[in-house]
Amino acid sequence: MNAAVLRYRVMAYVTGVVLVVLCFVGIPLQVAGHPAVANNVGVVHGILYIIYLVSAWILSRKLGLATKPTAIMLLAGTIPIMTFVVERWVTRRFINPALAAQPQPAQPVRP
Amino acid sequence: MENAGPTWPAAPAGQTGPAAPAGPVGSADTAAPERPGPVWRFLIQPRWLGWHLLMAVTFWGMLWLGDWQLHRALAGNGLSWAYTFEWPLFAGFAVVFWAKTIKDEFRIKRDGPQGTLGGPSDSDDLPISVRPVQVSVGTAEDDEDEELSAYNAYLARLNAEVKRHGRWHGLRS
Repeated sequence: MNAAVLRYRVMAYVTGVVLVVLCFVGIPLQVAGHPAVANNVGVVHGILYIIYLVSAWILSRKLGLATKPTAIMLLAGTIPIMTFVVERWVTRRFINPALAAQPQPAQPVRP
Repeated sequence: MENAGPTWPAAPAGQTGPAAPAGPVGSADTAAPERPGPVWRFLIQPRWLGWHLLMAVTFWGMLWLGDWQLHRALAGNGLSWAYTFEWPLFAGFAVVFWAKTIKDEFRIKRDGPQGTLGGPSDSDDLPISVRPVQVSVGTAEDDEDEELSAYNAYLARLNAEVKRHGRWHGLRS
């Protein structure tokens, strides 16, 4: 559970940052006649988004989310800034209640 | 936006169901044969037909985009190779999403809104988990309800997960 949450969060932020770079740096540069950034960052975002999809999907299965929030989570990775917003929303509404309800023995023993 | 209300014998109970899953309602729940039709009937409801259509359009659209990128790649655009493989992947993911949603829906309908007692749910994972949240899809717009059912869903799922071998066994922390 914790691992899935962490994975989702990391991917949400990484994908979000890369998408922001793509949209607010790469695209203006492309319009200005320097397409290199947009091209390369675009491919990187494409690959990261696949990983984001999988991690968000796994988390949504673990949380037992319905179709609507799941779809919102998955699609957030394609809209700039949205991953940050959705990550906060998911945390507040689903992850925190889930973690709060987690029984103590489920905590791993740290070495 | 009603969510398959007519399919359930005690539809209103679905709203408050998660709060009392193993209560005395359980006995009444076992006697739920007055179901209007076969379980799969919900798949041909207008709302679901819309989803199927959207699904088909999305799937073929993504494949088409992949094909388009393949042609661009073959025409010499090296960057398109990445997208050539990405789009079919997304298409496949869409199908998985769709299939999983339907599977969940079947499970909800079969187990009934309150079926927590052993039996069929032993064979499959996450039987209760998805249910209460799914119930509130499209019906409950207010936050309170959704939050409560999400929380109840989690409790139920946790209970179920502890009892059996989980699907995400390797991923559990």
